[in-house]
Amino acid sequence: MNEIIKKLSLGAAGLCFVMAGLSGCTKKSTAGENALNLSLTANLKGMDPIYANDLYSNLVISNIYETLFQYQYLKRPLELEPQLADGMPQVSKDGLVHTFKIKAGIKYQDSEAFPEGKGRELKAQDFVYAWKRLADPRNKSDGFWIFDGKIKGFNEWRDQVSQGKADYDTPVEGLKTPDDHTLVITLTKPYYQLYYVLAMPYSAPIPEEAIKKYDKEFLNHPVGTGPFMMESWTHNSQVVLVKNPNWRGEKYPTSGENGDEENGLLADAGKALPFADKVIFREITEDQPRWLNFMKGELDYIGIPKDNFDSTVQGDSLNADMQGKGIKLSISESPDVTYIAFNMEDSLLGKNLHLRRAISYAMDTKTLLDKFYNGRGIPAESPIPPGIDGYEKDFKNPYAEYSVEKAKEELKKAGFPDGKGLPVIEYSTTNTTTARQMAEYTQQNLEAIGVKIRINATSWPQFTDKIRDKKAQMWGIAWSADYPDAENFLQLLYGKNVSPGPNGANYKSKKFDDLYEKALKLPPGKERTDIYHQMRDIFVQDLPWIVNIHRKDYLLYHGWLKNFKYNPIINGTAKYLRVDLKEKAAQMEKL
Amino acid sequence: MLKYTLRRVLYVIPILFGVTLICFLLFNVAGGDPAAQAAGKYATAEQIRTIRHEMGLDKPLPLQYWDYLKQVVTFDFGRSWSTKQNISEMFLEGVGPSLTITFPGFVISLLLTIPLALLLGYKRDSLLDKFSMFICLAMISISSLVYILAGQYFLSYKMNLFPISGWDSSWSGRWEYALLPILIMVVLSIGGNVLFFRTLFIEEMHKDYVRTARSKGLSNKTVLTKHILRNALIPIITLTVLQIPFLILGSLLIESFFGIPGLGGITVNAINNADFPVIKAMVVILTILYTIFNLLSDLLYAVVDPKVRLE
Repeated sequence: MNEIIKKLSLGAAGLCFVMAGLSGCTKKSTAGENALNLSLTANLKGMDPIYANDLYSNLVISNIYETLFQYQYLKRPLELEPQLADGMPQVSKDGLVHTFKIKAGIKYQDSEAFPEGKGRELKAQDFVYAWKRLADPRNKSDGFWIFDGKIKGFNEWRDQVSQGKADYDTPVEGLKTPDDHTLVITLTKPYYQLYYVLAMPYSAPIPEEAIKKYDKEFLNHPVGTGPFMMESWTHNSQVVLVKNPNWRGEKYPTSGENGDEENGLLADAGKALPFADKVIFREITEDQPRWLNFMKGELDYIGIPKDNFDSTVQGDSLNADMQGKGIKLSISESPDVTYIAFNMEDSLLGKNLHLRRAISYAMDTKTLLDKFYNGRGIPAESPIPPGIDGYEKDFKNPYAEYSVEKAKEELKKAGFPDGKGLPVIEYSTTNTTTARQMAEYTQQNLEAIGVKIRINATSWPQFTDKIRDKKAQMWGIAWSADYPDAENFLQLLYGKNVSPGPNGANYKSKKFDDLYEKALKLPPGKERTDIYHQMRDIFVQDLPWIVNIHRKDYLLYHGWLKNFKYNPIINGTAKYLRVDLKEKAAQMEKL
Repeated sequence: MLKYTLRRVLYVIPILFGVTLICFLLFNVAGGDPAAQAAGKYATAEQIRTIRHEMGLDKPLPLQYWDYLKQVVTFDFGRSWSTKQNISEMFLEGVGPSLTITFPGFVISLLLTIPLALLLGYKRDSLLDKFSMFICLAMISISSLVYILAGQYFLSYKMNLFPISGWDSSWSGRWEYALLPILIMVVLSIGGNVLFFRTLFIEEMHKDYVRTARSKGLSNKTVLTKHILRNALIPIITLTVLQIPFLILGSLLIESFFGIPGLGGITVNAINNADFPVIKAMVVILTILYTIFNLLSDLLYAVVDPKVRLE
């Protein structure tokens, strides 16, 4: 019998060695390649711009497709600059007609979709075609909101297509192309966010030939005008982009914000883009493998996972060990807000301002920030986050203060002294661990003043359904900016956007709505900013939400990655990033 | 036997009917509104209505169920609501990576644990047996996440034996990435398998035929391998065959930690996104496979156990 044991243990040991040996022999190194090694924290769905509704699709797609505008890479607050547009458009006096010139000589990447496989020139008609695809109800894109009700005749076209009475040859009054390089957009009403949405991948031009060729498989065969093109994509694993030889070319920006020069962000000023030959996006959904890959130098930059934060960052700087490895820290404000919303149509919460105030006073946001975000953020005072027009640094929301005493006082005024007579309130959230823990934290906070809540944690679809059906009482949620304008946050409170629209709180205030409509008609400027402030003040007095946190992005990057500057609104940044290969080879030794 | 097989194959039809009906009803009761999901965060009532129409969700439920049945018969499940990818292709792409991990893991585990369990059963109550039992119990008590996290951290990151995560879809390239996951797969199943098989062997060891064999003067080795192993293999084979259909589903945790593009991740994403077409396809495929392997298991039973007659 000892024989058998020996054989077994030998076998097991042998197996381990063979496995390790096999893997050792084939181990590849990424050190020598002029490639960017980036990660996606969720699986990429597809590369059709009309479905680019998440951060991850945008991250990849925007390097392949381009739009009329882009954000200047370094400037803060964010500033638009023409990308495919040849200069800024001409605007009619009433602000309704916008005439865009398209840069001449821009070519699509080579693709089998074109005759002889050669990429043809970009035409103004490609925009109209792409936007019709976005509007076509049969495509079920969720991006139509960027034009919904804004372009003359576009909604009518959409309806007609739905009834089978129109097709892509049916003209839309508000979308005209007098020649191949001119695009005229006629609006139904002033829309000052138009240029922002024209920087979103939803609005990228698409060649009709590609749809003819690939049809429904187009999402796996992107054909764009951007600096990179797709070389391969193993679904749920990784996407590899390579330089697009047909790209029109662009130079690294020569100006930025204060401090960019000192941080070396202007060292490459005026140099030809892109710097990298290849961009590899690895889809890594779990924190540990992403972290370990970064620490091994297999990824160039990474958001710091919650569990690794305390061992990496002290205060706002990296610990000595990380610094010794040549790793750097980037901290930037994320244009978002997390909040607890009340259903204003709820017979209890919606009608009792003092109760909402009591709940607001009872929330210890500072501890929430430390406990759940490792202090990565600032307590919010209003829905408008830093970096967005309408944000005011010194503004104080009186009800954002944490005070059990005041909370109890308000509760008394609400008619429920120490919570007596108050029914249990349902708090909806999603069923992830963190969301549950945060809900429990809210529960503890409210328990302290005698308000009892019951947590109802469900999947994301069920959670959003509940809000949309106006069946939720209060819930925790967040909003990230699609573009840097307070309107993007304030529309969440606009009376005409109530459920099933984005105003899940079903907040309705005539004063607020009038101001909102007035602001829509104004160009960016002091007058509009003042109105944003007034709306914020109305919001604070009515308290349809308890605002919690404006988050901050803490990212780590290796010293060899040059020109790294992060903002989640800016897409298509791979062209600016440069890997210093010499430095990388030297640094890799230390990892 | 042929008649039996045919009859059993035909059973698939009512089973599929029942399973699809339950799946369909469950989804319609608890699945969330897919049209609203597709309409996105700026949805308006009008947009949701249009999309519901485009998805065919405004048709009466019996008609929607009929469409589903048609899909089952033609095996064309259309496209995913969330990724817009072709479901048959998603499935074909995912099944390879999943099986690359689970199948070798399954086979290696059986090859290791059956002899080990036989040995422990033979040495019952010895120090080796007690110690191994303790280890096995400890192994199944530890969460699988611990093995994954520790394996990845120590073997890949600290000792550089394996890549941390990733995948290569070529057959020659994938093993580099598959080895550690397979190893963990094996380790994960050892405890449970050994304990289970050992019980089966011990049960056999106390049967009359073993005493008879021993009294005939047969050697230990012959009794163990020729008699006990053979008889105990009957339940082992039949039970393990039933595990095979689940191998294609992969292991969700291992897949997500090692970045393996398998079916485990696809299924969970589908559930999280209320991606009904993908869930429908998975349910149907698993049902069919399960009934087939169930039948196979029954047929094998008759092959390995001469006492069983199928009629």
